[in-house]
Amino acid sequence: MGNFLFFASAILTILGAISVVLVKDIMHACVYLLVSLIGVAGLYLTLGADFVAATQLVVYVGGVVILMVFAVMLTGGASSQDSNKFGMIKTPMMGNLKTYTIGVFALFITLFIIVKILGNIFKGLKTEALGPLTESVQKIGFSLITDNVLAFEISSVLLLGSLIGAAIIARPLKEKVEN
Amino acid sequence: MNETIVSYFSQFEIYKTIVDTLTNSIGTSGPAIFNFLIFFLAVFVVVNIMAVIGGLGTFAERKISADMQGRIGPNRVGPYGILQFLADGIKMFLKEDIIPKAADRFIFIVAPVLALMGVFGTLAVIPFSNGFILTNLNVGIFYLIGIGSLVGLAVFLGGYASNSKWSMLGGMRGASQIISYEIPVVLSIMAVVILSGTLNFKDLVEAQGGMPQTWFIFHNPFTFIGFFIFFIGALAETNRAPFDLPEAESELVSGYHTEYTGMRFAFFALAEYVEVFVVCGVGAAAFLGGFNVPFHLGGDGIVGQVLQIGAFVSKTLFLYYLVIVIRWTYPRLRVDQLMSLCWKYLTPIALFNLIGVSVWLYMFDGKSMWSLLFEHGSKAVSGH
Repeated sequence: MGNFLFFASAILTILGAISVVLVKDIMHACVYLLVSLIGVAGLYLTLGADFVAATQLVVYVGGVVILMVFAVMLTGGASSQDSNKFGMIKTPMMGNLKTYTIGVFALFITLFIIVKILGNIFKGLKTEALGPLTESVQKIGFSLITDNVLAFEISSVLLLGSLIGAAIIARPLKEKVEN
Repeated sequence: MNETIVSYFSQFEIYKTIVDTLTNSIGTSGPAIFNFLIFFLAVFVVVNIMAVIGGLGTFAERKISADMQGRIGPNRVGPYGILQFLADGIKMFLKEDIIPKAADRFIFIVAPVLALMGVFGTLAVIPFSNGFILTNLNVGIFYLIGIGSLVGLAVFLGGYASNSKWSMLGGMRGASQIISYEIPVVLSIMAVVILSGTLNFKDLVEAQGGMPQTWFIFHNPFTFIGFFIFFIGALAETNRAPFDLPEAESELVSGYHTEYTGMRFAFFALAEYVEVFVVCGVGAAAFLGGFNVPFHLGGDGIVGQVLQIGAFVSKTLFLYYLVIVIRWTYPRLRVDQLMSLCWKYLTPIALFNLIGVSVWLYMFDGKSMWSLLFEHGSKAVSGH
């Protein structure tokens, strides 16, 4: 039974991936990508990584594919022949002395906190208070806040950076007063 | 392997005897086939009952709205018109199935199926009772959020594929609304998950009790606010009024399913009504004590299971009733109001709640405010 499900999701993944490449309409490619990603979630599930499978569903099926479809549609989709250059406009430096000072302070505080957390790890935490970890969710959560805390924190900083970047790109440009 | 509904049935004697006879007659694959049959039967029953509940939802909606507006409502088919939804269903079957010439055929056909798939996929982890959960995943809540977001994609694809401006606008509104309101909903569910320390639906429900003071909604002030944020967000996620902008009749004809006819339209409608039931069920399970029966009436036997299903379904249907009443009470929001409500009010409050619940858990060792009050009172009394 498990084998059957594994091969079914593997075939789903491969067929979806091949169709993404072969199909001409970019919207259809998005739908096939969805099929492929659901197949990957199935692979994770049959291999016993249920948390990763659910994350695959939440992140890729719920987030990435919808955003892709949005992006495809807003950029004109398959019908647009004239490939315009990216509409990126050079943004001037944000902020002034005050914001930079606050930023440096915030950086110091963040560094302090990270050092504090990491210091505890290197000193060694008391782990015997916890019972044996049975579920994969517990194992993942435990390793995320102990051994892999640096990667966890850095990835959250990365997400924050992308959030700020998106805000900079999306913010309305100020009209110059003197013109 | 996860706990499924089969593992509940496997504790009975009759199950063992059937499995034994099957092993003797067919061989080692006998129990596997029998387990599959039981599971298939349970899924079949759940899906059909849900479809009927979805149909009855349309009937309840029309009847309640008629009551509120001083009309009679459907009263011709069956007693009190209760079979109206069957008549509607047959009508849907007999309608001509039209696919517009300019539509994107492939996506047009796929979209309603995706919507139905997303909604019925969530039914797998809904905790109807102690034993009657189709499959009790470790990450049940997470799975539900993930598979439920297929509906947003389906709404968007349906709107896009129809190649009509009303559908397009409705689909875009629907997708952006569903993505945005997912955040406060998930954050307020997360508060409950922190309290119970599990993503498993059954454990989450069993962390609560039968009586109202042990429900998570009354656990502390933050979860009390959290429930209402969840409920508002859930209304928006299921595209119900006052957030029914994707299918606003007065401006967008019918929104993303304007061009759909016959069974394809019925798929969208059914998905919407079943999704309302699912979302109300999640609310009942996460905040209102779910299947817990007061004083453990009926125990764990068959009677207990029936009582538990009754408790869960009655809480869910109460929320369902609220959803319908809200639809016919409030006027529709504007698009900008909708987005500012989500991003400027609900999301910050939900984040604040999340921090508040964590602090409460740290400060008071996860005790509810009632037990704290009780302890304080008993101390004060014994001090005198």
